[in-house]
Amino acid sequence: MSFQVNNNNRPPFPPPFAQQGPPGPQQGPPGPRPGPPPPGVVPRTPIGPPQGALGPPNAPPGRPSGPTPPFGVRPPGPPPPGAFSSAGPAPPPPGTRPGPFQSAPMNSGQVPPPSTGAPGPFSNGPPSGGVQGGPRFPSPVGMQRPVSGPPSLPSGPPSLPSMPPSAGMRPFSGGLAASPLPGPAPLAPSFASHSQGVPPPPLGSSAFSAPAQGPQFQVSPFGSQPWSMQQRQVAPPSAIPGAAPPPRMYNMPGPESAASISPAMSQGPSKIDPNQIPRPIPSSSVVLHETRQGNQANPPPSATTDYIVRDTGNCSPRYMRCTINQIPCTNDLLGTSGMQLALLVQPLALPHPSEEPIQVVDFGESGPVRCSRCKGYINPFMRFIDQGRRFICNLCGYTDETPREYHCNLGPDGRRRDADERPELCKGTVEFVATKEYMVRDPMPAVFFFLVDVSMNSLQTGATAAACSAISQVIADLPEGPRTMVGIATFDSTIHFYNLKRALQQPLMLIVPDIQDVYTPLQSDVIVQLSECRQHLELLLENIPTMFQNNKTADSAFGAAVKGAFLAMKSTGGKLMVFQSVLPSVGIGALSAREAEGRTNITAAEKEAHKLLQPADKILKTMAIEFAEYQVCVDVFITTQTYIDIASISVIPRTTGGQVYYYYPFSAVSDPAKLYNDLRWNITRPQGFEAVMRVRSSQGLQVQEYSGNFCKRIPTDVDLPAIDCDKTIMVTLKHDEKLQDGAECSFQCALLYTTVDGQRRIRVSTLSLPCTTILSNLFRSADLDTQFACFLKHAAIEIPSSPLLQIREQMTTLCINILHSYRKFCATVSSAGQLILPEALKLLPLYTLEITLDKSSLMLLHLQL
Amino acid sequence: MTEFLELESQDGVRMPWNVIPGTKQESAQCIIPVSAIYTPLKPLPSAPPLLPYSPLRCRNCRSVLNPFSIVDYSTKIWICSFCLHRNHFPPHYHSISDDNLPAELFPQYTTIEYQSGEAGQAPMGSNVFLFVIDTCVIEEEIGFLKSALTRAVGMIPENSLVGLITFGSYVSVHELGFGMIPKVYCFKGGKEISKDQVLEQMGFFAKKPKPTGVIAGVRDGLSQESIARFLLRASDCEFSLNAVLEELQKDPWPVPADQRAARCTGTALSIAAHLLGVCVPGTGARIMAFLGGPTTEGPGTIVSRSLSEPIRSHKDLDKDSAPYYHKAVKFYEGLSKQLIHQGHVLDVFACALDQVGVAELKVAVEKSGGLVVLAESFGHAVFKDSLKHVFQSGDLDLGLASNGIFEVNCSKDIKVQGIIGPCASLEKKGPLCSETVIGQGNTTAWKMCGLDKSTSLCLMFEIVKKESPDAITQSANNQFYFQFLTYYQHSSGQMRLRATTLSRRWVAGPGSIQDLIAGFDQEAAAVVTARQVSFKMETEAEFDPIRWLDKSLIHMCSRFGDYQKDSPSSFSLSTRFSIVPQFIFHLRRSQFVQVFNNSPDETAYFRMILNRENVANSVVMIQPSLISYSFQSAPEAALLDVASISAERILLLDSYFTVVVFHGSTIAQWRKAGYHTQPEHEAFAQLLRAPTDDAAAIVKERFPVPRLVVCDQHGSQARFLLAKLNPSATYNSDGPPVHGGDVIFTDDVSFEVFLDHLQRLAVQ
Repeated sequence: MSFQVNNNNRPPFPPPFAQQGPPGPQQGPPGPRPGPPPPGVVPRTPIGPPQGALGPPNAPPGRPSGPTPPFGVRPPGPPPPGAFSSAGPAPPPPGTRPGPFQSAPMNSGQVPPPSTGAPGPFSNGPPSGGVQGGPRFPSPVGMQRPVSGPPSLPSGPPSLPSMPPSAGMRPFSGGLAASPLPGPAPLAPSFASHSQGVPPPPLGSSAFSAPAQGPQFQVSPFGSQPWSMQQRQVAPPSAIPGAAPPPRMYNMPGPESAASISPAMSQGPSKIDPNQIPRPIPSSSVVLHETRQGNQANPPPSATTDYIVRDTGNCSPRYMRCTINQIPCTNDLLGTSGMQLALLVQPLALPHPSEEPIQVVDFGESGPVRCSRCKGYINPFMRFIDQGRRFICNLCGYTDETPREYHCNLGPDGRRRDADERPELCKGTVEFVATKEYMVRDPMPAVFFFLVDVSMNSLQTGATAAACSAISQVIADLPEGPRTMVGIATFDSTIHFYNLKRALQQPLMLIVPDIQDVYTPLQSDVIVQLSECRQHLELLLENIPTMFQNNKTADSAFGAAVKGAFLAMKSTGGKLMVFQSVLPSVGIGALSAREAEGRTNITAAEKEAHKLLQPADKILKTMAIEFAEYQVCVDVFITTQTYIDIASISVIPRTTGGQVYYYYPFSAVSDPAKLYNDLRWNITRPQGFEAVMRVRSSQGLQVQEYSGNFCKRIPTDVDLPAIDCDKTIMVTLKHDEKLQDGAECSFQCALLYTTVDGQRRIRVSTLSLPCTTILSNLFRSADLDTQFACFLKHAAIEIPSSPLLQIREQMTTLCINILHSYRKFCATVSSAGQLILPEALKLLPLYTLEITLDKSSLMLLHLQL
Repeated sequence: MTEFLELESQDGVRMPWNVIPGTKQESAQCIIPVSAIYTPLKPLPSAPPLLPYSPLRCRNCRSVLNPFSIVDYSTKIWICSFCLHRNHFPPHYHSISDDNLPAELFPQYTTIEYQSGEAGQAPMGSNVFLFVIDTCVIEEEIGFLKSALTRAVGMIPENSLVGLITFGSYVSVHELGFGMIPKVYCFKGGKEISKDQVLEQMGFFAKKPKPTGVIAGVRDGLSQESIARFLLRASDCEFSLNAVLEELQKDPWPVPADQRAARCTGTALSIAAHLLGVCVPGTGARIMAFLGGPTTEGPGTIVSRSLSEPIRSHKDLDKDSAPYYHKAVKFYEGLSKQLIHQGHVLDVFACALDQVGVAELKVAVEKSGGLVVLAESFGHAVFKDSLKHVFQSGDLDLGLASNGIFEVNCSKDIKVQGIIGPCASLEKKGPLCSETVIGQGNTTAWKMCGLDKSTSLCLMFEIVKKESPDAITQSANNQFYFQFLTYYQHSSGQMRLRATTLSRRWVAGPGSIQDLIAGFDQEAAAVVTARQVSFKMETEAEFDPIRWLDKSLIHMCSRFGDYQKDSPSSFSLSTRFSIVPQFIFHLRRSQFVQVFNNSPDETAYFRMILNRENVANSVVMIQPSLISYSFQSAPEAALLDVASISAERILLLDSYFTVVVFHGSTIAQWRKAGYHTQPEHEAFAQLLRAPTDDAAAIVKERFPVPRLVVCDQHGSQARFLLAKLNPSATYNSDGPPVHGGDVIFTDDVSFEVFLDHLQRLAVQ
């Protein structure tokens, strides 16, 4: 539970550490999609991991260049002491380069407002890959940067601790790996060192203490340690002895608990030994996870591990996981912890192949049993009383009559006798068959509409051909049957629909030339049953690149085309897949090359860089809301070689529950296969249409906000024209009132959707977690992966509205706040310079660093959120 | 009468007054205006030679050298008969002499045709046909239309250009030149679209910057290829055109049971006009619209989509309670201006049980000189045969010409009030223009975008010479001259000029009335009156046609009749005037005046045909011809009277729009008994066949093809005959009809009663 990293090399790392990390990429499928994709399909994560789960780090654990030592370094920097103390988070230390070093760590040291006492700076570079799970992010780079960084520091007197210590530490950690150290964790003062480099008062007070459980927190002696740069170089400060034994991680399997490291304290160098820095280590073994044991919620395994879930009452963590596995009773408690309370909901997540399938429950005409007040669905935590004649809702506490046909006597244990036979009474996740009441119309057919850019550029770069070929291949994978409808249109400065009706000898091209006032030229025959038009479609797709090969139209009417396609789909709804290669230059929602404008006016561009991430105007947003209303989900595949203003374009997929795929710069040689693979996964993955989602929670908590790719028209519900196994929604929670200690608090996510084969279903996942009044419990039960995913999402949401620098600082601050709180209230007294990490969150600094280092990934992340 | 027909066959002109009342006052007293019905392209039996050179024109008034010019062979000078200007002959006329005259000076060639320009000059351009097809019709109709069009396409001359637009809720412009798959541009029906938008949205300048200013065809930078996307030579696009026609489908947009289909005729026509204006301005081109119902969407809408609202009737128009009418007419006026500017024609083939809006379209069709055909269905012979007729070659072809300009010259004491007929004023003002305007006036030049060999214009003149003391001295030269010049693009593509020069004597003074009577052409007068009354009914509010006609007739009879004052029995009319009362009687009862029996569309249709037909045909419209066939005698003309009906007769009525074969009840019985199939009754078979053959002959020659009705006495279809007959025997008549005769259920007065009243009033 407490984890201290010593500046010195000394602190031994317990061996568990090595095993504890998330699996590396080498280990099979990337974390986000634990289950195997349908045969033949390589699941692909879009740009970022919408799942929110932390992916496996790309860096192999043993890498010597691993964690950055720079931390140790940066404080002592040349910056005048004054700058340090006063700088606060905002201004980077003088001389900072935006390099890997970033000012972030340094700031973090100083960030903490003086009043609170400064938490030490620390951060390990989390592999960016871990976050992404995708290949797009060059995580290794992140890892390496630190190494090269230090020397380049302008201020960097040779003092950089990184090199020598790291060398020294490596073996160290290796050695320790074998034996978990239950013993007292030594505090690593190193972090604090920088602050000490400057003796200003605030710093002094902020030293890290040992991870004592006690709430009290003494100013560490560090403050007094005279740390000069020279000192650092020469002799690292001695480690502070860890005061507290690292508590076992709550409910974690052995090895995990062992992860708590108590680095040996040493007074030695003020540097951090990279080897001692906790980092995710992949585990190769598959974990078997029961969601509840002994009538208690079982904290989920790390999202990055390979695990098999047995649903024993709580829903699988794949569907819903909480940032903290115990719920703070009060808002104050939560505030003190610095953590946030949020759920990550992924209602259609792919299960592990060995997991039991979700059971479908059909209540017949009457529909699922629900609480008559809060409309919560029946779940294992509803308590039946009065011989089963009534039941108490676990969400709102209201007592309802049991419907007559649903009545069942209670057994001696107070449970219904049929509880184990009825999935809805014993499983955390069930699917109800929806009755007419849940439909405003017949379930919609599975409509797939493809919209392909055929402007000059697109043809010349081969993007059109790639798209056509991908679509052509993918047609075979579309679900068979009369419910599958397809349509296709192409566009340049006009929109070309195709009448695919079989009666026609050839498809008929229908051009809509009016791109200011778009319409669909036909009501019916533009979208046709797949079985009726397969040949036409194949022929057409084959011909499109030839047909337009001499196209000299450079303009692209993206907005109008999307609107036109939408109008064609309006009566049914469905999935619209757009392949776009150039900046939309004409018609509705035309965009300008803003970035080029920015370049001509450099100062403005620097200052307002984040504005480029805001949509250019509201037209596309308005359109997108309309699309969502008619259940049209838009995915955009961007195959471009130039600026295309994704910030504006992405508004459409974001609002309609779709996603953006980005192939930049598009290569006709290497990208088509990827494009095909992405498209194939997009349409073959488990998914649903015309969905509405709502998360309910027990009294005392309420949903504060949903974030993700969806449209929200009323505050309580989330409208998802389409939802698939990759989509995750973050649900932040807030306290209404105090929760009762010892009670359990439930969360229920209900997703009403139409399956691909046209059935209306309600998937209900219920999670019940204990409430606590003890701060340390919160830290113990924190779910790092979830927390960090939430961090990221918040950051990504912020990006368009705040300068990047500020966001980095915020992230660092968040991290610091948590650790500070932990140190302050939960750790035993320890030396001031020591960084103390809660076991569950020991990778938080590493992850935080990584994200603050990688500029592009942050920006891209924004697109996914 | 025959002398008038001879004059007509020489020049294509009929005039009510062939001796002209010489002063303003006298002409006013003549009631029937001084006017001429001229058929510019009438094939003349004494075929004038086609002169392969340009005409010689007066340097002063631009009139053309003609047989009435005074030529001085010695000085090589000719004097213009209109302005008396002396012109020198150009050098190439140097050999002119009394016995070596150019053809235009031959006395018999008062009408002559020049094919000007350099010999062998390439034709101006090929004809262009742009089909605009309504798809908001039931499948069956689509089928009929398809087959009719497919046949028509096969008959289009190979070098003509062809384009295709279909419409329903949307307008689809077919890009026939796109080889790979059928391709159409779809435009929203409800939205008016400008020419610039057409240019831009159909990608005419996709490859290069759009030139500024007016875009007009190749000359202004439009590439031939981009034109060839939409307008292709018939031989090149026959396959793709047929493929499109083959797959022509009903407009796919659903139509609720209580609504009309959304049909955007106006937008479609407007886009068609833009397309032609962009591609082939100034070249003879026809928009051929095939309409299957009322316009309900976009500009030109005539009725809302809700079926609960009926389509406007004459009553609504009279009460001004047709909410869409004026707006639609205004729209089509705009369209007609555009078409005239571009020199393009709008033809309308309206085939529906409902009205389609011909009344609103009239302005565009008439001013552009388009053809119009009204039928009940695309499957009806009236439509099918008419369409065939348009593309037919040979003797019966329509002689379609295009891009015509018509000009008038006349003596200085005459002014031109205007033309009632299919043309548009070019607003070329001059001293010849009268202050009073009738029809297309205020000009001496008119545009005739489309004209054919039967197109007839009715020119209205005004005599401005004042009654002056020197009238007698003037009588030395008491001739008025008229010259009609028609430039046009012949169907071969060549530009031609036909010049007709007329001379008519004028009289004035007390003794002139007999001269006037001698020169009176009562058929022409009836036709002029019919055009006049139709025109007035359309343009003058609160106009009472019956009263106007009666008054005119009475005045005419008082002036030209022989009678003793207040003695009706003494009244008689000269043979020159004898049929006038009868014409007026039937005109009063005709579809031109009695509009309430018809829809506004039908009325518009009838009037458009009246306004473009020659005198003979127009007379048939006013007073149908009736021929009786019986065993007793050879086929003979019968009185247009219910008394002509007899059980043992077959009657053939030709009212121009309908041809009725009417079997008397006995004949019908015999026919039903099948006698005509028996060899011993060959004579009966012949009798039966004779009127049918004659009817077929009429049908074959006429355009639009008339509706052929074969009916029996007392049958329901017999109404087509009865409606046209003089109701001399009605259900009110005393005494039963003669055996086998018939009565008409009407309260209309019979001709006898009418004449009675007329005599009484005329002699007062």
